[in-house]
Amino acid sequence: MGAAIETRKLTKTYKSRALGKINVVDHLDLEVEEGEIFGFLGPNGAGKTTTIKMLLGIIYPTSGEGYVLGKEIGDMDVHKIISYLPERPYYYEHMTGMEILKFYGSLFGINDREKFQALLEKVNLAADASKTISQYSKGMQQRIGLAQSLLNDPKLLFLDEPTGGLDPIAHTEIRDLILQFRDEGRTVFISSHELSEVERICDRVAIINKGIIERQGRLDDLLRGGRIEIIADGVNQAFSDSVRGLDATVSFHGGRLIVDMPEEGDVNGLIDGVRTAKGNVVSVIPRRRRLEDLFIETVSSAKGKHDGEAA
Amino acid sequence: MGAILSIASTTVGEAIRRRVLLIILMIGVLLLSIIPSLGVLSARSETSTMIGTMFAVLRGTSALIAIVLTVYMIPNEIERRTIYTILSKPVQRWQFLIGKYMGAVFSLGLMILLMSIVMIILFQIFQRPEPGKLLELARQSVLYFIEMCLLAAVAIFFSTFVTPLVNFFLSIGMWLVGTVLNPLYDSIQSNQGASPAMQMVAKFVTSILPNFANYDVKNPIINPGQQIQNETTYYLGTAGYGILYISILIIAGIIIFDRREV
Repeated sequence: MGAAIETRKLTKTYKSRALGKINVVDHLDLEVEEGEIFGFLGPNGAGKTTTIKMLLGIIYPTSGEGYVLGKEIGDMDVHKIISYLPERPYYYEHMTGMEILKFYGSLFGINDREKFQALLEKVNLAADASKTISQYSKGMQQRIGLAQSLLNDPKLLFLDEPTGGLDPIAHTEIRDLILQFRDEGRTVFISSHELSEVERICDRVAIINKGIIERQGRLDDLLRGGRIEIIADGVNQAFSDSVRGLDATVSFHGGRLIVDMPEEGDVNGLIDGVRTAKGNVVSVIPRRRRLEDLFIETVSSAKGKHDGEAA
Repeated sequence: MGAILSIASTTVGEAIRRRVLLIILMIGVLLLSIIPSLGVLSARSETSTMIGTMFAVLRGTSALIAIVLTVYMIPNEIERRTIYTILSKPVQRWQFLIGKYMGAVFSLGLMILLMSIVMIILFQIFQRPEPGKLLELARQSVLYFIEMCLLAAVAIFFSTFVTPLVNFFLSIGMWLVGTVLNPLYDSIQSNQGASPAMQMVAKFVTSILPNFANYDVKNPIINPGQQIQNETTYYLGTAGYGILYISILIIAGIIIFDRREV
């Protein structure tokens, strides 16, 4: 598989009278492989949308290089095989669902009613095709957005906050559609705040903060390093003290020992120790590291680093 | 061309549903409707008053529609993010801008046509003129349409780099100045006391700013004594001037818009 997106030191600088030069995106090195769902995460103002706009050729980078499906960003040929669903999209309210597809289809030179109908069915809007957009709910508007983004049978989809502001049912519908896109062999680039959604569907993620990529990689690799909680009864204070020597958080109260340790720690040794000390192992609960933990940890440590540099 | 026409037709669809434009249009039609009853209030001949006032209403309403329609056209697309969805398709910025401008021209055409039809019907009912007079009215309406296309091009040009509010006042200001350019220039040229420097400035300003005054030929219609020398040349020259000026403004707008961060 080749790279669907590749950037090298891609930078976008804005000039402000009050703040001087600000690097909204700062030497971004990004690589998204073909056929994967890639999560692009970051707090508000991190540079996510600016990056997407640069990749789409809507705004111009100040420096650096970027390639989308092997062509330089801004190449019009690429626009024929990519698509974009912006955050909280607006569609002309006087148009019906079918007219929206006709309009966006005409921008590609597509005028195929059967295709429009098939797309409406795919996003479960066939029955609402003749309703105007003003009559659509948020979820329906998002689905018509996804339908328009599939008009050109794109190889790469950019989805900016695709589930933002939607109810749980609409969430599930959109998530299923995105997973379907991957099954169809498309690459999906998602910018999102919905970390649980991203964790469920993305193969790889990058975390951007203040324009800088702080972490990038496969989700499984990034979420490695979970913890295990072991609860045991019937051990004494001396045993508890011996456990404190390990790289673990230990609490001991009324004969109950609670140990929270890294998953790569000597869990079996601890369990054996409890048994040798004539105690009972009550539970062993592996606590997988969540994307939310990784995100908060990454953003917080980046903030600390920036504050330190500023000081 | 397909993309440009699609953007243009969508723009028309939006424009004819914009309440503020419909209200201005309704007020224009309403004013045109009550003009026949105002003729008795004027000392001038009833026909002259009716033609003069109707043209003033048609021109003023059309100018307001042209400005309100175009000043928000590009900023709205950016604010609502529709521009991102469109530009992420194989659509160039110049195609987008021309499509929007063409949409504005078609919308203006529809609205001016409606007001002109109302005006001609009312004139026919109340004055029963010769068919030649109605043709003159129609010809003036066509000239106003070209004038409004030029005004829309001015507003579209400004909308590529200024805010809608600034654009509104700039466009109105340009139109007001442009409508008095000819009389102003003539008075400075004929004024014996005007210095050569002032005359040069007047000539420069008249050459640079869009001359909207060229499109107002109601005087020969009102006063049969007045006539345009070589009418065909005048009308072709005026239309050509408009097309040339519009082309320059749109090309300049495209150059600015192409470099602009959206």
